[in-house]
Amino acid sequence: MTPLQFEQQHQQEWLELQALLSQLHKSLRGRSREGKPIAGERVAALYRRACEQLALARARAYPAYLIDRLEQLTADGHQLIYQRSEFGYEKLKRMVGVEFPRAVRAHSAYVWLALAVFAIPTLVLGFLVYFRPELILSVVDTYTAQSFEQMYSKSAAAIGHNRAADTDWQMFGFYIRNNIGISFRCFAGGLFAGLGSLFFLAFNGAYTGAIGGYLTQKGLGETFYSFVVTHSAFELTAIVLSGAAGLRLGHALLVPGRYTRLQSLVRASKESTVIIYGVVAFLLIAASIEAFWSSARWIPPLMKYAVAALVWTAVISYLTLQGRGAR
Amino acid sequence: MQQGTSAEVLDTIVTAETPEGILLELRPAGLPARCYAFLIDLLVRLALLYAFEIAALAAGGLGIALTIILVFVLEWFYPVIFELSRWGATPGKRSLGLRVVMDNGLPVTPAASLTRNLLRAADFLPFFYAFAVVSMLLRRDSKRLGDLAAATLVVYQPTPTARIALEEIAPLAPAVALTPRDQAALMALAARATRLTAARVDELAALAAPISGDSGRSGPEVTRRVLGVAQWYLGRR
Repeated sequence: MTPLQFEQQHQQEWLELQALLSQLHKSLRGRSREGKPIAGERVAALYRRACEQLALARARAYPAYLIDRLEQLTADGHQLIYQRSEFGYEKLKRMVGVEFPRAVRAHSAYVWLALAVFAIPTLVLGFLVYFRPELILSVVDTYTAQSFEQMYSKSAAAIGHNRAADTDWQMFGFYIRNNIGISFRCFAGGLFAGLGSLFFLAFNGAYTGAIGGYLTQKGLGETFYSFVVTHSAFELTAIVLSGAAGLRLGHALLVPGRYTRLQSLVRASKESTVIIYGVVAFLLIAASIEAFWSSARWIPPLMKYAVAALVWTAVISYLTLQGRGAR
Repeated sequence: MQQGTSAEVLDTIVTAETPEGILLELRPAGLPARCYAFLIDLLVRLALLYAFEIAALAAGGLGIALTIILVFVLEWFYPVIFELSRWGATPGKRSLGLRVVMDNGLPVTPAASLTRNLLRAADFLPFFYAFAVVSMLLRRDSKRLGDLAAATLVVYQPTPTARIALEEIAPLAPAVALTPRDQAALMALAARATRLTAARVDELAALAAPISGDSGRSGPEVTRRVLGVAQWYLGRR
């Protein structure tokens, strides 16, 4: 059979498949623009035939334009037929209700390690700076230290004046950009054998600790702690979790087990992405709390502490208990 | 498909097998194409931001907040949003005919898109995407670190090849029987004939002259006869 005969013989089928595929491409839920259902069976049958014809055309070394045409047809069909839908309410419900907390528990060793790498520098620097405040200058410059002092000061200008609503919004934007960035870097750093994650975790821990210690020493403890205590339930957890996901990547690269390093990395990133979904949600919640609740000065500190206790309990029990019984 | 060793050395094609047992050929995009795509995307992002900022200035504090949020979204999620769209590529990639697919040729999944774009932060280190550049230059499939972890590929969108347009040349029966590989080479020559200069086609056709019984001769007449054999093999008798 010559290429031209071959083309003539199958031309009709190819055109039909092409038309069906482009309809399917533009359609929603398998219905065409006019609302008529698209014949899936017909698409599948034609697609399989096109695959067969491509194999034949290649085996017979038919001219490039024929093979290219069939290749494109089958590639388009392949993309449409085998695509997975990962969206939808059911999927989201399962992610929140089962998969995220379960993924966190499955990575508990990494979570504990990340927590230690974050918390130990926080405590060490916190106490160091508390007892020797001049050490703050080894972490931040004078200007930053002063601006932190002003931010949490009880000065007359700030106290009693609610921050204007638009400033809250501004801070919300700032928190989102800053904190999610930190978190994502903790994750991405994992690609360097986990060292990047360790560095970012320890660095941010040390920074947080130093600022905390400094402000406590200056007697601004109450403003500072009442400010951070609520949203940190989400924010610090998110940073630790993304660090843990990063450490998982690093571990997969260092100790691939029975896989190649690349396979092992791909597996690890598939599993740890579930954690990152949750981290993004956590950070958005943290930023909203930080901008609209934590910074509100009219709420008495005691009230903030009470709410914070509730929030912390809720977050920890969510991560440890949620979705345990689910199949 | 028959592939010579030289083609295997030179070609960067990645093959992915479908459940139907056919091999899809994916052509990974190299560093220059992806750099241009990145620069175009950068311009698009800056333009979006600039336009938004002008509008936001009128809105005051809330506007500033939304601008900051937009900066964040453009920084981390601009590629994710576009890659999960119907086109599977950011505007920059689309304008260069590229798209992001999974290693097996399927559309990129949300998880993979998120992974490859968050790991951009690692690719960026130690300065201006140095790790990404090194990784792309070292690998034959031009993956950056994010692509490695997410098992994704940036490939050229296939473009249809032009039909062989030789209608005016009279078909001619071959003087000797051709092996399938020789037939394929002849078809390739016929397909390219209209895009080459006449002198170059003559030169190439002279190499194939034995098939039309013109060994040792060359010139426009020999070219016509060689292309006539191509016509014959195409099926025009």
